[in-house]
Amino acid sequence: MIPFEYLKPRSIAEAIGMLQPGDPDVRPVSGGTAVMLMMKAGVLRPSRLVSLRYVEDEYKQVRVTESGELHIGGMATLSSLEHNDDIKRGWPVLAKAFRKLSNVRVRNVAMIGGNLAHADPHLDMPPVMTILGARVQIQGARGTREMLVEELVKGYYETALEPGEIITKVIVPPMHAANAAYIKVTTRASHDWPTLGVAVCLQPEQDRLRHAELVVGAATDRPTRLASVARSLVGIELSDHALREAGERAAHELDVVDDQHGSAEYKKHLLSVYLGRAVRLAAPGAVN
Amino acid sequence: MDTSHKAMRVLGASRGRTEAVAKVTGRAEYIHNLRLPRMLHAKMLRSTMAHARILSIDTAQARAVPGVHSVVTAEDVMKVIPQPYFGPAFHDQPILAVGKVHYVGEPVAVVLAEDPYIAEEASHLIEVEYEELPAVFDEVQAAESKIVVHDELKPAGTFPDLKHLAGRRGTNIALDFQVRKGDVEQAFAQADRVFEHTFRTQQVMHTPMEPMISLAELTDSGITLHTATQSPSFVRLEIARLLGWPESRVRVRTAFLGGGFGAKLYIKLEALAAALTLLARRPVRVALTMAEQFYTITKHGTTFKIKTAVDGSGRITGRQCTVWWNGGAYADIGPRVTQKSGFTATGPYDIQNVAVDSYQVYTNLPPAGAFRGFGITQLVWAYESQADIIAKELGIDPVEFRRMNLLREGQAHSTGTVMRSAGLIEVLDRTAERMNWDQPFDRGSGTLRRGRGIGVGFKALVAPTTSVAMVTLSADGSCFVHASTVDMGQASNTTLAMIAAEVLDISPERIKVIAPDTDVTPYDMATLGSRSTFHMGHAIRLAAQDARDKMEALRAELGLPADEPLDAAALLKKRYGMQAGNIVGWGSYVPEYTSPNKETGHSENITPNWMIGGCGIEVEVDTETGQFRILRMENVVDCGAVLNPRIVESQVSGAAIMQLGAALYEEMEFDEDGQLRNASFAEYKIPGITDLPASIRNDAVPMHQYNGPFGAKGVGESGAFAVSSAIAAAIDDAVGVRLTSMPMKHETLCKALRAAVANPIEETLT
Amino acid sequence: MSTTRISFELNGQPVWAEVEAHHSVLDVLRNTFELYGARESCGQGLCGCCTVSVDGKVVSGCLALAIDLDGCSVLTVEGLDSGGELDPLQQAFIDCGAFQCGFCTPGFLMMSKQLLAQNPEPSESDIKHFLAGNLCRCAAYPEIIQAVQLAAHRMNKQEQV
Repeated sequence: MIPFEYLKPRSIAEAIGMLQPGDPDVRPVSGGTAVMLMMKAGVLRPSRLVSLRYVEDEYKQVRVTESGELHIGGMATLSSLEHNDDIKRGWPVLAKAFRKLSNVRVRNVAMIGGNLAHADPHLDMPPVMTILGARVQIQGARGTREMLVEELVKGYYETALEPGEIITKVIVPPMHAANAAYIKVTTRASHDWPTLGVAVCLQPEQDRLRHAELVVGAATDRPTRLASVARSLVGIELSDHALREAGERAAHELDVVDDQHGSAEYKKHLLSVYLGRAVRLAAPGAVN
Repeated sequence: MDTSHKAMRVLGASRGRTEAVAKVTGRAEYIHNLRLPRMLHAKMLRSTMAHARILSIDTAQARAVPGVHSVVTAEDVMKVIPQPYFGPAFHDQPILAVGKVHYVGEPVAVVLAEDPYIAEEASHLIEVEYEELPAVFDEVQAAESKIVVHDELKPAGTFPDLKHLAGRRGTNIALDFQVRKGDVEQAFAQADRVFEHTFRTQQVMHTPMEPMISLAELTDSGITLHTATQSPSFVRLEIARLLGWPESRVRVRTAFLGGGFGAKLYIKLEALAAALTLLARRPVRVALTMAEQFYTITKHGTTFKIKTAVDGSGRITGRQCTVWWNGGAYADIGPRVTQKSGFTATGPYDIQNVAVDSYQVYTNLPPAGAFRGFGITQLVWAYESQADIIAKELGIDPVEFRRMNLLREGQAHSTGTVMRSAGLIEVLDRTAERMNWDQPFDRGSGTLRRGRGIGVGFKALVAPTTSVAMVTLSADGSCFVHASTVDMGQASNTTLAMIAAEVLDISPERIKVIAPDTDVTPYDMATLGSRSTFHMGHAIRLAAQDARDKMEALRAELGLPADEPLDAAALLKKRYGMQAGNIVGWGSYVPEYTSPNKETGHSENITPNWMIGGCGIEVEVDTETGQFRILRMENVVDCGAVLNPRIVESQVSGAAIMQLGAALYEEMEFDEDGQLRNASFAEYKIPGITDLPASIRNDAVPMHQYNGPFGAKGVGESGAFAVSSAIAAAIDDAVGVRLTSMPMKHETLCKALRAAVANPIEETLT
Repeated sequence: MSTTRISFELNGQPVWAEVEAHHSVLDVLRNTFELYGARESCGQGLCGCCTVSVDGKVVSGCLALAIDLDGCSVLTVEGLDSGGELDPLQQAFIDCGAFQCGFCTPGFLMMSKQLLAQNPEPSESDIKHFLAGNLCRCAAYPEIIQAVQLAAHRMNKQEQV
């Protein structure tokens, strides 16, 4: 760990000013857990850290707009989101996902913006955010822009953020009549990283699905949408056989690598089974 | 020998730990917390090669970093310790690598600085040039390989049965131990059935929560090691030997250990700390990170080939065991594991024809040594797993099969030692009872299947070893226990205080158990192998009895009536006319033991006691994914008399849950170059609170150890013995798949289940 | 390297310290204030031995920067019995034998304190979920669960009186 300068800007504008795009040795830090781990491991050696803890309160808050959108400040801690009543009510799949992230101590300090910007492929939140159609508001020296979470995460610890940009808001559309579920599959100790994350968002209509979305995480280097498999679930009878077949097609489509949590083959097998389980969890009425 | 069954006043009742308040207020002393004025922090540079010659070490850049005190290599160490090799069995381990590195992670150089952050940064600036050598990692391959880890074997002379290995070259086998009885080949020829299987276990690490730590400082009387060690007496004698000093100039003190489990034994960081303080002439703190512990000492991975002959009725008539223990690059206490556990490889069974070959093998991996169970868990894995396979094949209930074959009181074990106070049947029966084994069991239908399994394992107490203790009384009636037994969470302080209290007829609250300090507490072999309740318990009992004898003599001398209760305060005040003086009692205990014959492994008295652990498991398998979970765990032990029920239960439970880690989650994963990929809790998963089986219960069968203090013996490891095999048996019972390698992975089971669907014949998997 | 002065409340007392930016909360608690209840074990925030409470929220002291303590209120295990009496959680841990080597114990106590503050009647599943990020190699988990339940029960009874 090399000594560094630690700055505490009191506003987002001030923070952006300090980040000086073009200087790779200057980094923003929110909760700090990920950054400190990387610094202790010697993987990251910044000369200056710009803390995002002390910016305006509005960036730490959660509100639901009149149109039913969930607006989460980029500096809101994961634990504040875990306990937020609006989220529990309006986006239960998200509340459940927040509860499972890492551990309580991390959730107490980690911020949603930092979490998304870190793009650790094992995180539970990006697939869930993706399936809900969430977008992020990004601020930087060149102004403000928005993009879908799906577009934000590009690969293994890689995002579409430009140097000097900060995620300042996460916007989640209202769920209306959609049912969503996320299953975190672990294959070793239960407090392990997930081997596989399966997120589904469905719109059931009696015993069929009117609309379906499917995003897979953890087994891939970024949350991966399986659009054609999802489409194939629409309008059909959701028998065990049909779900298993869809699961197998999903497994086939997915680009997966071996790691300590399982071989590529096993992860694909898990997906072939858990796709159906996620669908059953999200829309029990629509399944036989 | 104490064979009294009289009602006990203190022992036998649950009592909280003496240090309870200190531990819950965060004030308990750990060497991890020690700061010495002017101390320097040490950070190590470790080898990145599994096997290589060191061509050069360039420390110039590191030394130039502001705040760095010095950078030390083996060359510097040899200025203060000319022969810098240590180890309890072989003097094969250098304080810092000399000429060669033998595994990835071996310490090569050390940076000293007042600021640990600076020391760490500077360590990355040391440049080492290596010439790579071929390396060997697998224990079976290494036993035959031309790739030799050490050019010459260097047994230490501490164990006479290793002498014949001195100077041997061209081999990786550091010990081959054997047992021979009867004629196994004939037994196989004549058997109704012969079963042959190979079982494997993986390398794991103890990961005590307090990572290893030693501080060393020079004092006016020599050197003091403040170290988190389970074996202070050994550290003193070994440091004295390395320095060429008398023991009177070496002081070793320790505090509570934040976990030991066998990791903190013999020499770990002490020799390095001693060398560094001699070089720097300032106190030095050598502290490891959790990750570095993986590069220091581990548990042996094993390959165990077991071949068993059975007659028509299900009686075992012959058994051949070949065990390869992966000892890693340095022997540590591995040869002891190979021998002392090796002789139990045939299991707790009555078998007339036996052959055991147990090999301690050098490889280019981090060293393996003592780990809770001392090799027993690896052996039980094989022999209990095979017992279930055989029982299933023959259509015999697994409990019945064991009843048919387990050794009974008065029968001779394969080594010839007659079994005494070994509650094998009692533990098996109690485990079966707790599991409702006689009741029908619902294996489920649909995709979730359930199964159950049961097993029993045993361990011999390592012998011969010595414990010496003192019990002193002061003139207000306070009592002090001087023992070098180290409390690492197994409540030894509490137990020893209770024993002294029982003999002296005083309240344990009046007793202080002095923290081990070789200047103050007498010789103890070490705190390991569940030996302390037995050995130090006896020593304390004898010391307290000696104190009583002395008080009786004093009472007589003072002309007091013989029936007056023995009250140290009253006696001393009368003797001296004031509050002065002490009663000093001492005791020493070493059990009877007969060394095994070199060719046959035969001994009339190979162990003072047998410790026994049984386990029953119910498991539920998700047949679609291979994921499984443990619904129920019944742990039962024979620990002789239960001196403190609540403590005994915590030891049984703790050992069993810890063993779940090795059974299911833990594995040190190396790449083909011997690089460890997962030396961190992020990727090395030990059991957490959410991994507990839905139901866990613990029990001890009522037994009396004929030669134990108050009928007791050790219990720290017993809960671990039969866990893994019981899980494998339960899975086999549920879905007809037999896993033969640890850790048992969901993926392995899944693959087997899918294969079984395509091919209905059950396979045994490695 | 330059130091920054931080002023904060530590176990109810106002204190200050000079810290460098890279010093962790653990560094300052142990080196400046000689409070050894919080300990560095895994160094990755995964074991919980370094748990302390900052403004009522448990954090990993081995990863949190001391410089962020400025203006905060910090509670460590040493602050639990500062009234001279053991905290109900500490007493319950003793009564249930919820520790063996004791190294992880302050961490479990600090975690449990936040748990009971936000959920006075936690179920066994609530307790396990909350403590999932605290490791105990001695595996005193069953006793720890019992101790938290016992403490909760006693504290609720007290509340009702």
